[in-house]
Amino acid sequence: MRSRLSTLFDALLPVLATLAALAVGAVMLLLLKVNPVEAYGALWKGAFGSTNAFAETLVKATPLLLVALGICISFRGDVINIGGEGQMIIGAIMATWIGLIFTDAPGWLVITLALLAGFLGGAIWGGIPGVLKAYFNVNEILSTVMMNAIAVQLMNFLLRGPMIDPSQAELASKIPQTARLIDEFHLARLAPTRLHLGALIAVILAVLVYILLWRTTLGYRIRAVGQNPSASRYAGIKVPRYMVLALLLSGAFAGLAGAVQVYGVNYRMITDGSASGFTGSAGFNGIVAALFGQLHPLWSIPASILFGALLVGANSMQRVVQVPSALITVLNGLVVVFVVSSEIWRVRRQRRRLAAAKEDEAPPTPDQAKVQTEEAGQ
Amino acid sequence: MNQETLLVGLAGVLAAAAPIIFAVLGETLSERAGVINLSMNGTILLTAMSGFAVAYTTDSLLLGFLAGMVIGALVALVVAFASITLKQSQVAIGFVLALTCRDLAYFLGNPFMGVSGPRLQAMPIPALSAIPIIGPLFFRQELSTYISYIVIFLAWLWIFRTRPGLMLQGIGEKPAAAYIRGANVNVMRYVYTVIGGALIGLAGPTYSLGVRAGWMGTISGLDGIGWIALSITIFGGWNPARAAFGSYLFAFLQWLGLVLQPVLTQVPSQVLQVAPFPLMILTLLLVNIGDAEWVERTLAAMPETTRKFMAKLLRAMRASPPAALGVPFERD
Repeated sequence: MRSRLSTLFDALLPVLATLAALAVGAVMLLLLKVNPVEAYGALWKGAFGSTNAFAETLVKATPLLLVALGICISFRGDVINIGGEGQMIIGAIMATWIGLIFTDAPGWLVITLALLAGFLGGAIWGGIPGVLKAYFNVNEILSTVMMNAIAVQLMNFLLRGPMIDPSQAELASKIPQTARLIDEFHLARLAPTRLHLGALIAVILAVLVYILLWRTTLGYRIRAVGQNPSASRYAGIKVPRYMVLALLLSGAFAGLAGAVQVYGVNYRMITDGSASGFTGSAGFNGIVAALFGQLHPLWSIPASILFGALLVGANSMQRVVQVPSALITVLNGLVVVFVVSSEIWRVRRQRRRLAAAKEDEAPPTPDQAKVQTEEAGQ
Repeated sequence: MNQETLLVGLAGVLAAAAPIIFAVLGETLSERAGVINLSMNGTILLTAMSGFAVAYTTDSLLLGFLAGMVIGALVALVVAFASITLKQSQVAIGFVLALTCRDLAYFLGNPFMGVSGPRLQAMPIPALSAIPIIGPLFFRQELSTYISYIVIFLAWLWIFRTRPGLMLQGIGEKPAAAYIRGANVNVMRYVYTVIGGALIGLAGPTYSLGVRAGWMGTISGLDGIGWIALSITIFGGWNPARAAFGSYLFAFLQWLGLVLQPVLTQVPSQVLQVAPFPLMILTLLLVNIGDAEWVERTLAAMPETTRKFMAKLLRAMRASPPAALGVPFERD
C-alpha cells in the first residue's frame, strides 16, 4: 500500500512541480500588479478554450514534439544537441526546394519526398557536429550553436537570392520568402481547423522512437554509450559511430520539424532574417519539452502539448491582461527547473529504496531499469 | 590603405575585443572553478540592454557599468545555486537562462530602442599616446579597453602566480584533494562563478556604452557573441593570456571581413558574416585534435622526425578542460 501511494506520488511529481512553478509565476504577476487568476484564466482559455484554440495548441506542439524526439535520442546518448534551430532550417530548405521543382508530380509523392528531404537535411546538419565530436573531440554544444549561425546565413542568402519568391523579387520590399507551394502539396487538415497531418506523424514517430530506444540494438547501444562510454568500448561497441548516429538522428527529427512547418503551416519558407523568424524558436523550446518529458519519447507528447499551450496561451494572456510575453519564457524556465529538481529528488529517493531492498536481490524490474537510464539522462 | 587608416582599424580591433575579453575571462574563472556558465549569450544581451537603460535614465556611465556587473553576477548566482546547491545539470539551467535573459533583454529594452544616450569617449593617456605607432594603437582608447588590458594581466597573475589561484586550479581539477587541503570547495565555486558572472556582465555595457553604443534590440548584432565567447574560452585553454589572444584574433578576423567586403564584391555579404563561425569550428578542431585516438595511431605510424614535429605542434595547440568541469562536488 505504502509503495503504491509512493508510486502515485512519483507519477504526479512533474504535475506538482508545474503547479509550484505557476505559483511562483503568480507571485511575479502580483508584483506586476496583475490578477493572477485572471491572467491564468486568459492563458487557459487561449490554449484550450475552444476547438480552434486547442487545435492551435497542437499545431504549436507539433514541431516541439518532433524536435524533442531527436533530443531524447541525443541526450540519451550523452551528446547535447543545441542545433535544433539550424537543423530545422536546413530541413525546411531541402523540403521546400523539392516542392518548388517537382510541380508536376502527384501530391503524395512530393510530400513524401519533401519530408524525407527534410529528414536528410537535418541529418546532415546534425551529423557534421557528430563527426566533429566523435572523431575530432570538438565540443558539440559549441559546434551545434555555430552550425545554427551558419544555417541562418545560408537561409538568408537563399531566401533573398536564388530561392526568393519571384513576385517579391520584383517588389522593393524583398521580403525573404520562397514562392507558395501549390495546394496539392499541403499536408492534409485533420479537422476544420489549422491542425494538420504533421501532428499525427509526430505522435506515430514518438512511438517509433520509443521502440528504437528501448527495443532495438541500435537504441540500446546509443543509450549504453551515453551511460558509460568506456564500458561500452570494452563491450565492443564502436563508441564514435554511435555518437555520430545519436546526433545525426537528433538532427534528422529537427529537420523533419522544419519540413512539417513548411508543408503543414506556412506553405512556404519565410523569415525575418533571424532563425526564430522561421522556427519560432521551436528548435530551442523542443529541448525544454524533452527535458520536461524526462527524455522519454512518449512523455514528450504531453510535455510538448503543455509548452505549446503555454506559447499559445501566452499570446492571449498578453492581449487580455497586458503582461510581457517574456514572463512566459521565465515561466517555461521555472517549470523546467522545478521539474528537473523534483526528478533528481525522486531518483535519489528511489535509489535509497533500492539500496534498502538490496537483500532480496531479484533481476531488475523494468521500473528499476528505467530509473537507471534516467539517472544517466541527467 | 595607408598607415593612418590601418592604425585606426587595428586600434578598433583592440577596442572591439575588450567586451569579448571580459566575457571570456569571466567564463574562464567560472570554469576554472568547475562551473560552466552557459547563460553567457543571454547575459551579454541583458547586461547590454540594462547597462544602456540605466546609463540613459541616470545619465551616469558608471551606474550603467555597475548595473551590468550586478545583473551578470545575479544570473551567475542562479547558475551557481542550481548547479552547486541543487546539483542540477549546469547545461540545462545555463541554457534555459540563456534563452530567458535574451527574451527579457528584447522585451524590457523596447522603450530604449534606437534612442541616443551617453557613451564612453576616447581617453588618450597623456605621454604614452604621443609615441608613434604604439600610441595611437594602444593608448588612445576608451576606458573599457584599458581595463581589459589590466584584467587580462590580473587574471593571469591570479590563476598562475598566487596561492588562492593555485587553490582555484585545484578546485577545478581535483576538488576532493582541494577539500582535504582545507578549501571549502562549494563556497569557492560560488565565489568564482559570481565574480566570473560580474565580469561577463561587464561585456554588455562595454558594447552598449562603447563599442556599439546604443540599444537596437534584435538588430544589435550581439546575439551569438556569447556562444563565440564560449568557444574562445575553450580555444584559450582556460588560460587568460591565450584566451586574450583568441579574442584579439576573432576581433581581427571580423574587422578583416569588413575591410574585405568592398574589395570582394562578387562574394555574397552572408559569406563574410558567416566566416567567423566555420573558423571557430576549425580552431576548436585544431585545439582538440591531439586528443583523438586515431590521430595518436596515425602519429605512431609516422617516421621519427615528422612524428616529433607533429606531436609538438599538436601539444602546442591542445587545450584540456579542468577535470572536474561540470561535475558537482559531494563530500563522502
